[in-house]
Amino acid sequence: MSETPPDPIPATSVVAQPISDALVGGPDDAPFRDPAEQTQTLNFHFSPRTALAGEMERLQNENPHAKASWVVPKVIAALKEKFGDTIGEVVGYAGETTVFVDRAAIAEVCLFLRDEVGFDYLADIGTIDLFTEDDRFEVFYTLCSLEATKRIPLKVRAAAADPTVPTVTKVYPGANGHEREAWDMMGIRFDGHPDLRRIYMPEDFAYHPARKEFPTLGIPGSLPLPANHPDGELQSDPFPRAHGQIPKDLASDAG
Amino acid sequence: MFSEEGGFLTTTVDSVVNWARSNSLMPMPMGLACCAIEMMGFAGPKYDVARFGSEAMRFSPRQADLMIVAGWCSHKMAHTVRRIWDQMAEPKWCIAQGACASTGGMHRVYGVVQGIDNFVPVDVYIPGCPPRPEAIIHALMDIQEKIRVTESVGKDVRFTAAPNQLVDGRMLNAAGQPV
Repeated sequence: MSETPPDPIPATSVVAQPISDALVGGPDDAPFRDPAEQTQTLNFHFSPRTALAGEMERLQNENPHAKASWVVPKVIAALKEKFGDTIGEVVGYAGETTVFVDRAAIAEVCLFLRDEVGFDYLADIGTIDLFTEDDRFEVFYTLCSLEATKRIPLKVRAAAADPTVPTVTKVYPGANGHEREAWDMMGIRFDGHPDLRRIYMPEDFAYHPARKEFPTLGIPGSLPLPANHPDGELQSDPFPRAHGQIPKDLASDAG
Repeated sequence: MFSEEGGFLTTTVDSVVNWARSNSLMPMPMGLACCAIEMMGFAGPKYDVARFGSEAMRFSPRQADLMIVAGWCSHKMAHTVRRIWDQMAEPKWCIAQGACASTGGMHRVYGVVQGIDNFVPVDVYIPGCPPRPEAIIHALMDIQEKIRVTESVGKDVRFTAAPNQLVDGRMLNAAGQPV
C-alpha cells in the first residue's frame, strides 16, 4: 500500500537510445519503448473477470452499452445441466457472458441450442490467435435467437499442435463460409466440413495470414504477380524492393 | 510523300487518326473498389464525359481501348486485370485511378499490390482517395493529349534506313522493341 507511485519522468531519456534505431525502422515498426520504463496510465473500463454472484447486474448497471439481449442466465444454466463438464468456465465481460465449450462437443451444444432453446441463427464465427504456448487459438461462435432476441457467445479453444475443431455446418449450413474463412486466415481445420478450401487467398498460398507470426507486409515471393509482358513468366512479388523497403531477414534471429 | 522528316502520311493522316482516337476513347471500367463510384459519376450526366467522347463504357476488353483501374487490386485480382489488359486490342491506354491503384495507398498489407504499375503499364496516375470526377476527366484529357502528340500511323510506315517490321503480329523497330 505504501508503494511510491512510479516516477512520471523516466530516468533515462529517449536520447539515450542509439540514433540508428530511430533512423532504421519502417513505418510498420512498433514504437520502441523499454518495458521497464513503461508508465501506463490508460486502462480499459472493463477488465475480464469471472462472473460472480451479482456481477452481471453490476456490469449492466455500470455499462451504458450493455444490452439485455446478451443476458441469458437460464440458457447457461440449462447448458450446464445438460452437458456438465463439457461446458467450461463462463466469463462475464462488459455485460456479456461467454461460454467456453469443450471443442469436441461444440456441434452437440449448437444442436441443443438450436433445436431445444431456439438459437436459430449463427451470426458469426471468428478466430483469435492468443499466441500462447498452450491453447493458442480460440474460435468463437455468436448464436442468435431471432424470436427471443437473445444472443449467446460460445468459445472453443484449440492447441497450436492440432488446431482442429468439429464443424457446425451440419447444424448451421451458413457456417460453411465462416469456417472456410477461419481455415484460410487462421489455419483452423474443421473436421467434417464438406468443402474446406481457401476462400480469400489463392489456393496455392502456403501461409495463414491472420496468424500472429505472419508479417503484415507478407512474405516476399509467396504471391506471384502476372508478367509485365503477354508472353512473360510470373514475377515474384516485387513490391518490397520497389518501395525501397527490403524486408528483414526472416530466417535469422537478428531480424 | 514519304520522308523521314514527315510527309503526308506521318502528319496529316496521323492527325486525323489521332483526332478520331482521342475523341472516341472507350473506357474499360475495371472497378475494384470505391473509386468505381466516382468513375460512375464521371460517366454520369452531371460530369458528362460524353463531352469528351468517352461515354461508351465497354465491359468487353475487345471493344475497349482505355482501362481505368479504379480501386485497390489484390494479388489474386492482378492476374485477371493483366489478362483483361492483354485481351484489349492495340492501341490501348491505362489510367490508375486513386491512391490504391497507383501505390497501394493505405492498404500497406500482404494482399494488395503496391501499385498496379507492377504488372500493367500505366499512362496516367490520379491521386486522391477517391479522386473526384473532375480529376478523372483531367486524366482522360491527359490521355487525349498523349494520343494527339504521338505517332499513330506514321510509325508503322515511316521509311528509314532501318524500317519497322511486322513480326508475329507486332510492329517492331530495328532494335526489336515494339513501337
